[in-house]
Amino acid sequence: MKQEFNLSRIGLFMRRDLAIYKGTFSTGLLVAIVLIFLFSILNMVWDQQLDLGEFFGIFGLFYIPVGVLFTFSVFREFNNPKSNHLYLALPISIPERLAAKWLLTSVVYTLVFTFLAIIVGTFAVTMGTIVFNADFTLLSFFSEEYWKVVKVYFIIQPLFLVGAITFAKNRIGKTILVLGLLVLGFMLFNFILFGIFNHSYGVFSENSLGSEAISKAGTDFSTIGSWFYGLLFGPLMLVVAYFKMTEKEV
Amino acid sequence: MLTVRHLNFNYPSSRPVLKSINLDFRPGNIYGLFGKNGEGKSTLMKIMTGLLFPKTGDCTLDQVSAKKRSVLGLQHIFLVPEDFELPSLSIATFEKTQSPFYPEFSKEQFYTLIEEFKLYPTEVISKLSFGQKKKVLIAFGIATNTKVLLMDEPTNGLDIPSKSQFRKVMASTVDETKCVVISTHQVRDLHSLINHVVILDNARVVFDYALGIVSERLWFGKPSNSDEPSILYSESSFGGKAILPRMGNNETEVDLELLFNGVLSEPHKINTILKNTHDETGV
Repeated sequence: MKQEFNLSRIGLFMRRDLAIYKGTFSTGLLVAIVLIFLFSILNMVWDQQLDLGEFFGIFGLFYIPVGVLFTFSVFREFNNPKSNHLYLALPISIPERLAAKWLLTSVVYTLVFTFLAIIVGTFAVTMGTIVFNADFTLLSFFSEEYWKVVKVYFIIQPLFLVGAITFAKNRIGKTILVLGLLVLGFMLFNFILFGIFNHSYGVFSENSLGSEAISKAGTDFSTIGSWFYGLLFGPLMLVVAYFKMTEKEV
Repeated sequence: MLTVRHLNFNYPSSRPVLKSINLDFRPGNIYGLFGKNGEGKSTLMKIMTGLLFPKTGDCTLDQVSAKKRSVLGLQHIFLVPEDFELPSLSIATFEKTQSPFYPEFSKEQFYTLIEEFKLYPTEVISKLSFGQKKKVLIAFGIATNTKVLLMDEPTNGLDIPSKSQFRKVMASTVDETKCVVISTHQVRDLHSLINHVVILDNARVVFDYALGIVSERLWFGKPSNSDEPSILYSESSFGGKAILPRMGNNETEVDLELLFNGVLSEPHKINTILKNTHDETGV
């Protein structure tokens, strides 16, 4: 097992990916932080303040899409028939490959993006305070708003990771299409379940009662639901990614 | 060392590419894997590296199955593919990021070969010509010092001086612990380099002999009129050159191209001569 899962090899593989995709990463991060800065400034022009909710709303607007793009970019050589020979023949096991890719596109990416975003955000707030006389807000990642955005990314990112492995062409479009179909499927599934359990109470006969019942059910089952979907989109998708990588041929 | 047993392979919805392949690749040898285009040479190499999975049968390196793609197995095999893309990095950065995965990698050997190929460590790989990129990968493959080095059409894209340089480099690389398998349809490129020939035709191994046995049992040259009845294969385009059983004639250098054409056109005749004499001597 030690031979097949070695932390130093994971580190080396991450270093290799960083060297290869250095250009993509730095360009993406640069564009994102410039846009975060501009959006933060524009927000302060409007109402002379940038509270934590507003800042992390802007943060999430770039953090999630750029993270998804990074996820697709690090699997570029995996699906390229001219480069995947060297990639797949590299002496590193599938669990190590998966761990390295996931750590890089989720943990390392989140740390770097957060660090840069908070620096740029603080700079924007300082500038807003001076130029627009806006309220000064201390930006910190010890806030509920930040962790909500990060949680959403960590839940959906493995699904895009599976998409990046599975599809050879138009990978982002196909993954979003599958995601859309999944969401529609789950909505229909939830609606049918709700109908089965509640039809005898006549909740569909009156709209207000129906919507009240749905929101109550949503509140009652939100914890179970979030665990269910969290597990489904998070760890389970990483397991799917593992098997997809194992089955991959050139 | 590298063993292929009862291997069958076909791509989805296509005819079999490899049928009942049984081969043994032993250390200390340079094998020439010959065959016409589309005869499964590249496919066999990919299966040996674990990049494709056989439909039935197996390929093992020191008892480790290639299809498992285990770290231990991959640390001892390196494939130089025919067509490839390398990351857009400098040669030195490429070496730094790839070499730590190969425990026997020799930096000194790599940079010596890079220098020999008239390349510079600071050059960016994406800006090199295809032949130069191939040299980088060949140098890297040699420097990994893996037990098995597979090369798929390594001379494609190399100019004439580079081809002879390649032969020189390869000849100095192999020792008793390593095994090199070179696949090509340009048989002449491997002249004086290989010591064992494997020929694939119609998805099967039609020839698998050491060149020592071939030169011991077969005679290559222009036959006299009295030799005509015993000719195994002849070709007018080779200036009337033919393959004959050696009998009492002087030993001749093996003409790889003539042998290849002869095996493709008269596999049974040539194999029978080699097999019989092989069995008689018990070699």
